[in-house]
Amino acid sequence: MLLALAWKNIWRNKKRSLIILTAIALGLWAGLFSVSISIGVWEATINSTIDRNLSHIQIHKKEFKEEKLISNYIPNGNTIADEIRKDKRVKEVSGRVLIEGMASSPTSSSGVNIIGINPENEKEVTSISSYIQEGKFFETKKRNPVLIGKKLADKLGLKMGSKIVLTFQNIDTTLTFAAFRIAGIFKTESTNFDQSHLFVKKSDLYKTMESEPIISEIAIRLNSSDDLDSVYSKLKLDYSSLAVETWKQLAPELEFTYEMLILELEIFLGIILAALLFGITNTMLMSVMDRIREFGVLMAVGMKRVRVFFLILIETFVLSIFGGIIGMLLGGITVWYLSDKGIDLSIFAEGLNAYGMPTQMYPVLPLYFYFVLIVMIIITAIIAAIYPSIKTIKLMPAKAIRTY
Amino acid sequence: MALIEVKNVSKIYNTNSVPVNALRNIDLKIEKEEFTAIVGPSGSGKTTLLNMIGGLDNPTSGVIMIGGTDISTFKTDAMINFRLQNIGFVFQAYNLIPVFTAKENVEFIMLLQGESKEKREAEAVNLLKAVDLGDKIDKKPTELSGGEQQRVAVARALASKPSFVLADEPTANLDSVTANNLLDLMEKLNEVNKMTFVFSTHDSRVIERAHRVVTLRDGQIDSDKKQNELAVKKQ
Repeated sequence: MLLALAWKNIWRNKKRSLIILTAIALGLWAGLFSVSISIGVWEATINSTIDRNLSHIQIHKKEFKEEKLISNYIPNGNTIADEIRKDKRVKEVSGRVLIEGMASSPTSSSGVNIIGINPENEKEVTSISSYIQEGKFFETKKRNPVLIGKKLADKLGLKMGSKIVLTFQNIDTTLTFAAFRIAGIFKTESTNFDQSHLFVKKSDLYKTMESEPIISEIAIRLNSSDDLDSVYSKLKLDYSSLAVETWKQLAPELEFTYEMLILELEIFLGIILAALLFGITNTMLMSVMDRIREFGVLMAVGMKRVRVFFLILIETFVLSIFGGIIGMLLGGITVWYLSDKGIDLSIFAEGLNAYGMPTQMYPVLPLYFYFVLIVMIIITAIIAAIYPSIKTIKLMPAKAIRTY
Repeated sequence: MALIEVKNVSKIYNTNSVPVNALRNIDLKIEKEEFTAIVGPSGSGKTTLLNMIGGLDNPTSGVIMIGGTDISTFKTDAMINFRLQNIGFVFQAYNLIPVFTAKENVEFIMLLQGESKEKREAEAVNLLKAVDLGDKIDKKPTELSGGEQQRVAVARALASKPSFVLADEPTANLDSVTANNLLDLMEKLNEVNKMTFVFSTHDSRVIERAHRVVTLRDGQIDSDKKQNELAVKKQ
């Protein structure tokens, strides 16, 4: 009956209740939408980095982490890669040869990271093949094909079919160079990556270096990112002499920034709710002031102060939760609709690409955010109810009954 | 032992730092089953005295005993509980809960007493029938006339099965016919149910029907007469 009374009291002044409900709902909807865009952009950035070249897990020789020399290759790397490939949680493994070298064109030269790959494996581990803008992903039969980034091609003044000379240190520390021909130009969301990386077939590198098939990096793509921790733990145990790292360790700035972003977004929602708190308190205060005589009567006829307190608390609570649910529903529907359709931000492409961010943005709102928000709304409702409740229970019934 | 005993009660209000003596050394005893009117001009202290008896306000000095219990020493929540169990209130402006129906208004008091839903509903319907509102139990206060609202207020006052009912100017907002009907009802409850009524009023219709009339003037008892004495005086 107390609940029924609270509910009926809320709708006594429909206009006032609807205004505050709308304010709560719109405030939360706007807040959730902004949060989902921020998370969506950042998750897309992380996914794009994982897709582009990072993969879920990488394995290196520990010394390679100190000095990125070709001589620091993984002992029995190909055998290890084959063993890992057998795990059902693993989608594909790419054994890569990584060399820091110099790319020279007739007009210019630039320091580059040369990535030697097996195109078939790499296709399954990263999505670099989907970023090809000109040419094809190693489908040419010409010798020594190379894929370079658009930014690097522009810098070196190269086009499709142009020759490029790659110079790098061999395993025996002698300087080796070879001519490659541009078979494809890729453009990812990261201009930094496009400017500093190029892909060659690792078999071509072996020939150039007159080397055995060695690999300096094992990139592992999982079927589901949910298995990241379990696969990582297993690999760390199996290959304790090697450096096994997840994308979070390989790019800690991504993980740290994401965690900071989540914290900032929670604070942002807290600020929205703090602003709403004043609105709710004001509404409840007006509602209480309108009913001073009634509260006086209730206390006169025997309603204990704790019950009066709870009546106002329930009214505030129901009003806030009701508005909160509407806001969350609106936010959820908006996010659900746009997470499928996406938001085209190509108008800001140049700026976004400089930070490695994609131009098609899909809002994302993790489920736990709704729970965080519900807790925040409950706390807000309780705080908002305190002042009007205390003001009410301090009323003197004899005086309150005579208030008009 | 008197049901209500007011012993040497004074009340001083400090309005704008100026002390106002609302009641001065009042001594009054009201027995069970009495039908008493406290009368007097505006500012004579009748509402203040009623508030003291009802535990809605504390005396500055003196003692108020209800059924042998000194209520002047009660803390707020103990006093609220005492009122709930012992005192029924009828107010001048009816003061029903506007969002509740007549039945819910009566039921609410029993809810506060912790009665079960079935008992509450049955008792509320009985009480509303007793005040001739059996056909209007689901009407909200705004759908009832002033007299009907005051009868719901009487039913609400009786819902807690109180020791006595305090009625502050119960007929002030009612026309003559409605006021007489309400007084008939209260008189019947007094005679049949042996319910004690104490009114504060300056309505001559109530004074004429009261069995005892206590007149206040400037916060002091000016006269205290039984109806037979009043009748003799009239003659």
